[in-house]
Amino acid sequence: MSVVKKVSAESNTTAPWISASQITPWILAIVFLLILPLIFTSGSALTIMNQMAITIIFALAYNMLLGQGGMLSFGHAVYMGIGGFFCVHLMNMIEYDNLWLPLPFLPLFGGLFGLISAMFIGSFSTSRAGTVFAMISLGVGELIAASSIIVVAFFGGEEGIGGDRTMGPSTFGLDFASQIEVYYLTATWLVISALAMFLFSRTPIGRIANAVRDNEERAEFLGYSQRNVRFISFCASGFFAGIAGGLFAINYEILTEENLNLATSGSILLITFLGGVGFFVGPIIGAIVFTLLQTVLSLYTEIWQLYLGTLFVLTVMFFPFGLTGLIAIHLQPYKLGKISILFRPYLHMVVPAVVCVLSLSSLLEIAFHAKHAAIGEEQMSLFGIGFNSHSFLPWMIVIVLSIGSGWMIRRIAPGLNESWDEANYVEPRV
Amino acid sequence: MNKPAIELQNLRKSFGLAEIIRGVDLNVVKGERHAIIGPNGAGKSTLFNLITGKLRVSGGSIKMHGEPVENLKPFDISRRGLSRSFQITNIFPKMTVFENIRCGLLWTMGYKYSFWTLVNRQPRLTERTDEILEQINMSSKRNDIAGVLTYAEQRALEIGITIAGGADIIMLDEPTAGMSHSETDYMVELIRGVTENKTLVMVEHDMGVVFDLADIISVLVYGEIIASDTPENVRADAKVQEAYLGSAADAEH
Repeated sequence: MSVVKKVSAESNTTAPWISASQITPWILAIVFLLILPLIFTSGSALTIMNQMAITIIFALAYNMLLGQGGMLSFGHAVYMGIGGFFCVHLMNMIEYDNLWLPLPFLPLFGGLFGLISAMFIGSFSTSRAGTVFAMISLGVGELIAASSIIVVAFFGGEEGIGGDRTMGPSTFGLDFASQIEVYYLTATWLVISALAMFLFSRTPIGRIANAVRDNEERAEFLGYSQRNVRFISFCASGFFAGIAGGLFAINYEILTEENLNLATSGSILLITFLGGVGFFVGPIIGAIVFTLLQTVLSLYTEIWQLYLGTLFVLTVMFFPFGLTGLIAIHLQPYKLGKISILFRPYLHMVVPAVVCVLSLSSLLEIAFHAKHAAIGEEQMSLFGIGFNSHSFLPWMIVIVLSIGSGWMIRRIAPGLNESWDEANYVEPRV
Repeated sequence: MNKPAIELQNLRKSFGLAEIIRGVDLNVVKGERHAIIGPNGAGKSTLFNLITGKLRVSGGSIKMHGEPVENLKPFDISRRGLSRSFQITNIFPKMTVFENIRCGLLWTMGYKYSFWTLVNRQPRLTERTDEILEQINMSSKRNDIAGVLTYAEQRALEIGITIAGGADIIMLDEPTAGMSHSETDYMVELIRGVTENKTLVMVEHDMGVVFDLADIISVLVYGEIIASDTPENVRADAKVQEAYLGSAADAEH
């Protein structure tokens, strides 16, 4: 080992096989996934975590297209959905036709079916990039979602297709009847898929996918057919989306038209963008935040989609590099040793910002309650405070609070900007 | 004699009714430095784009080392050993300088579409990339993002990408356009160095560069080659003086 290190230090051309800085994040992630169910033990927490893991795989697969390959797809749910549908059929074959297939390997078949359908559709959709690709993906997505209602034998019509995951041959004595077993199965596939997708981005084809994204003409004059490069990225993405579909089938034991439609395709775009398309971890962060908001926020409010949409619009407008980009822009001040300059202005901003967000959302909640609650039901509660949504005072309070905190933010913002510029100022090199 | 590296026969290209290239015959001998000059709008870039496969030909033939290559895709022509640069800087702006050069190497070093090797684990690839960086004097910029380099540096990087794959025919489209005197001098030396023992075809406006570098100069006027000869003979050619150099000389008076 020491010899290898010495060589690498001298010639600076051969990297050591595996360095600590490369492997640490993965070890941490694995440990984190292992102990997570010990911290959150409830059944609903496990459901959320499974949901999260599946969404992460799907979002990472989607980012192979959008972030790595520069292909904007409006119909990527199709590949996850088809992988999932095939897996439900396989589960039924295990149950009724004595097919011998241990459940842990089912997602692999989901991946293969995702791959096959991506090869089929990609053979024509990837011939062009940009708007043409986006439009074809939209058309194909709608086509398959619509035909899922019609082709009842395969897609099960409006009810979808259900199965039972516990009927397979037992693997290591597990029958996957309990949530926790499914969690560890999902987590294992999450690690395998994420690692595979990460390594893919480091291969020649992964690098050239970036090159085609940035400058397809130049890549062609270097010997690469842009069409083939896009096709390969597309197939790889379809494969991993199919794995996510297989895991979905195992978790929910049912797939419906909803798994194929435009809403699902749209939300994966939203998740990936929210997290940040330019970073490998972007989709992971996006999937975690999205799933948390979706599951937790929806417990407390009926208009959670409004908040999610607002968050998305704000992110796209102010932080086009997503939540990960928001973290990443702090690396520069950190490296310059000036991150502390930002502490005070951030601290000043916290109170007005929190008050502003809460009061604006309260305003929305009160307005929603006043308009949509059953007639005669005028009592509502927010943050544990009960009041009448038709009375003047609560309206008054939240409006004053929103305007007041908004005004505060406007006053503090220029100072924050100044501090930001100062923290990012690089002494000119002499 | 050797088979010419590039051989054009009665090459034609029309855009709609406008005939831009009107029957060009041209031989580029292996190993020579060949410059194509001509007034603005003469069709120099179009000729370039036809040879490199960016545009489809309307008529005539293009042969590379004796084999017909007209209407092949750019990547096909690139794989046969022809590499080009562009009039407008054409690099991968979001990648580092190192990665830019490496992209130019991947195909010819046989990595093709492989997804079972990791680029960082290929000592030969890294070594070769660093050699090319050395050759274009950009080792110190190795890890800089290409998009933030100065204009002249980006042009030099583009030359690096172009020669990286080891193509034996190099085509440069106005490599010194928009450069200062000292930058141009530097560029000429760079081009001279990296195209040694290779066939070079370039389009250039700067007559200093042309007469300095080229073994043979072809003059393209309104889609036709009116002269193709050594610099001395081209300078003395009456037709050329009338059509091109003459008007430039008049303007100077």
